[in-house]
Amino acid sequence: MAEQKQQIEEFVPSEYSAGFVTDIESDSLPPGLSEDVVRQISAIKGEPEFLLEWRLKAYRHWLTLETPEWAHVTYPEIDYQAISYYSAPKQKTDGPKSLDEVDPELLRTYEKLGVPLEERARLAGVAVDAVFDSVSVANTFQDKLAEEGILFMPFSKAVKEHPELLKKYLGSVVSYRDNYYTALNSAVFSDGSFVYIPKGVRCPMELSTYFRINAANTGQFERTLIIADDDAYVSYLEGCTAPMRDENQLHAAVVELVALERAEIKYSTVQNWYPGDENGVGGIYNFVTKRAVCRGESSKVSWTQVETGSAITWKYPSVILQGDNSIGEFYSVAVTNNMQQADTGTKMIHLGKNTSSTIISKGISAGRSQNAYRGLVRVGPNADNARNYTECDSLLMGDTSAAHTFPYIEVKNPTAQVEHEASTSKISEDQLFYCKQRGMDTEDAVSMIVNGFCKQVIHQLPMEFAVEAQNLLGLSLEGSVG
Amino acid sequence: MKKFTELVTPFASVAEDENLPGQDLSWLKTMRDKALTQFNEYGLPSKKVENWKYTSLWELTQQSFNHQALAVTVSQQECQGIALLDDAYRVVIIDGVFDAELSQLDNLQVGVTIRPFSQSLDTVEQQLGQQVSMDKVGLTALNTLLMKEGVMVHVSAKTMVKKPIELLVIQSGTTDNLATHLRNMIMLDHDATATVVEHYVGLSDLSCFTNVVSEVVLADNAELFHYKLQKESKNAIHIATLAAKQAAGSQWHTNNISLGAKLVRNDVHSLLEGEKSHTTMDGLYLLNDAQHIDNHTRIDHLVPNTTSNELYKGVLDDKSHGVFNGKVIVHKDAQKTDSKEYNHNLLLSRDCEIDTKPEMEIYADDVKCGHGSTVGQLDKDQLFFLRARGLDEVSARSLLTHAFAVEVLDRIPNDTIRKAMSIVIEQQLPTGER
Repeated sequence: MAEQKQQIEEFVPSEYSAGFVTDIESDSLPPGLSEDVVRQISAIKGEPEFLLEWRLKAYRHWLTLETPEWAHVTYPEIDYQAISYYSAPKQKTDGPKSLDEVDPELLRTYEKLGVPLEERARLAGVAVDAVFDSVSVANTFQDKLAEEGILFMPFSKAVKEHPELLKKYLGSVVSYRDNYYTALNSAVFSDGSFVYIPKGVRCPMELSTYFRINAANTGQFERTLIIADDDAYVSYLEGCTAPMRDENQLHAAVVELVALERAEIKYSTVQNWYPGDENGVGGIYNFVTKRAVCRGESSKVSWTQVETGSAITWKYPSVILQGDNSIGEFYSVAVTNNMQQADTGTKMIHLGKNTSSTIISKGISAGRSQNAYRGLVRVGPNADNARNYTECDSLLMGDTSAAHTFPYIEVKNPTAQVEHEASTSKISEDQLFYCKQRGMDTEDAVSMIVNGFCKQVIHQLPMEFAVEAQNLLGLSLEGSVG
Repeated sequence: MKKFTELVTPFASVAEDENLPGQDLSWLKTMRDKALTQFNEYGLPSKKVENWKYTSLWELTQQSFNHQALAVTVSQQECQGIALLDDAYRVVIIDGVFDAELSQLDNLQVGVTIRPFSQSLDTVEQQLGQQVSMDKVGLTALNTLLMKEGVMVHVSAKTMVKKPIELLVIQSGTTDNLATHLRNMIMLDHDATATVVEHYVGLSDLSCFTNVVSEVVLADNAELFHYKLQKESKNAIHIATLAAKQAAGSQWHTNNISLGAKLVRNDVHSLLEGEKSHTTMDGLYLLNDAQHIDNHTRIDHLVPNTTSNELYKGVLDDKSHGVFNGKVIVHKDAQKTDSKEYNHNLLLSRDCEIDTKPEMEIYADDVKCGHGSTVGQLDKDQLFFLRARGLDEVSARSLLTHAFAVEVLDRIPNDTIRKAMSIVIEQQLPTGER
């Protein structure tokens, strides 16, 4: 197939007239992927030469690859030529004019989650400016960050303002050659976030609120790059608890984190993309590559994720523990219901001495869903005194759901101590009975038990998000018991 | 690496030349033909096959093997010395050939049949090949194509075999690069009980290749204690498949002890097809030098109310490489499954490597499944405790290593076998000298 594509390209002139740019800025590129499309995206974004070259290298590499099939998920083959790889930010006039026009089902969900009123409108895609002035709010944050010298901006802006940082770090953690989807993402990524925390700076706020207000519609191929310089600290929150209606079927994002000497990055994700209906029609394919490197001594990276959405989740936030005494953590809750499929976990690669990692994974499967934990703990020959503790528990609801565990452990150093523990059980009838006997309805009881099961992970989330995440768990499992 | 096709040809020609048993049996011929087709199609597994990720059969492709053994005699006395058990029914196979002289099959208990495989093809027709699959990986196909000898054990209903049955497979080391393909069939009718010990011994350091497939069929309420002790030559390649189909109420207790050979691969598979059936899968591997062992186990819980219990332990020294992959699959509707799976590893040297993966695939909700896996070294506190009581460093380390390994043996209920195994293991356990 790849060969055929290349042949076709030889006949298609690669010259691209600049006049076309204005034409598509108001619209999106026609479906299809070719070297031309990659050039067009780069041209639209006004990117420097090095980035275009990088994109092209990634694209050419992608052509040589085949779709990975090892994950425990099934889905129809994706037609990469049927996807449009660039669409300009949606016009504000596209959305409904007021909350009255919004799908009542969506509104009910917001209410249950306790999303603030003004935010509900924005999430539902109501023309934001008509509701409240988001720009000024955002600006207050930006001023404060600028004071500290923190860079936090869309990727496309960073390309123009800080190409030297990008050149140094882009692709340094997740190479475009890493896998099928990273190659694709590297070739066609539309936008994303860029964060740089200077030496010794402790980011004064969670970089979440801002993100929620500003970076919607970054598209299906996002790229995030976070760099914490020596002694810096940042807590970054990605995603949104409220369901985002999204037309894009395939999401192939890449997240790269770099922690230098004694730096600490805390990255939290709450993912609630559209999971498809109860028969598995529709829904997002979430194929994400997330990786962090603890490059400096005593650095620390902590991933926390709550995954409730997407038809298929396929992601393994990883940490490469390169610096001595560095620490990696992974806390995960993955909930699947109806026909959802999740294959998620982490990789902890111990290279430095005295490195330690903790993995806590909680999987909950209901309906006819498939939920798999897949993890790797690798201890290299020089990683003296490496320490890993892994715990992955699964909770099953209903006899049609499934839970799987695939933990890979590779140890090449005798001073390493690695422990893995896993359990699978169903939701306890006794606990349900106890709650119901005290007057709770089944749904609340299930929600409470599940929250108890996930407590270890939810506690890792920043406060306000933890509350929303708890509500979300209950909501995702609605109707799964009883 | 040589291409698979290049490998198939020498083996296939062996199938033509050799005096394989049962050439007049049309069903067996059909089976062997199918095996050839399958082997042609899949060949030997490469490291790209997920189940062979950590184990390379490259060595196997680098040498040509002899399939005809030179004549060899082992004296009765020697044989007694090698055998694990004194008081047992014994089948002796030397260099792939059944030795009637050395075997002890006189005065068999009523209801018990023990015969060499080549002489019992008529009795195994129904069950042969039913427990193993020739798909995907060519090794079972290769065995089916070339299987020549082994043991057939059949126990009639409601019979309890009073003596253990020892299958003693000796590699004398007279023929260089000898390849043997053994097939064992162990069939227990309903309510029968038996103990079988598969014992593989190498007498020299010559290289050889053993490819053995053992099939176990357990009818309702049958119980089999199935032990394997592998102590082949340090240059041997040992590949074994051990598979059982279990009917309702049956119990299969396995204990798989690997001490010898350079490259070992064990595939142990149980199919729990009847309610209230149970599998115990235990194993111990003690490795040193550049030994490589790969234990792949799989337990399929197919019906409700089945249980399994698995414990594999390893002690790795020098440049050895251990691989453990345990898979428990709870199929849809196999409710009330209770499964425990553990793998613990002790690393003693800087150069050894362990890759372990306890997997679970669960498709039913009312189940209790747990698994765990650890990799570590001797506990400093325990060492300190012993040192404080006057033990020197070496003895303290030896004692703790022994205690770690012996847990697997303690799960063997038969005193005689447990003691005999302990003695063998004692000799192989690394001393505490560092």
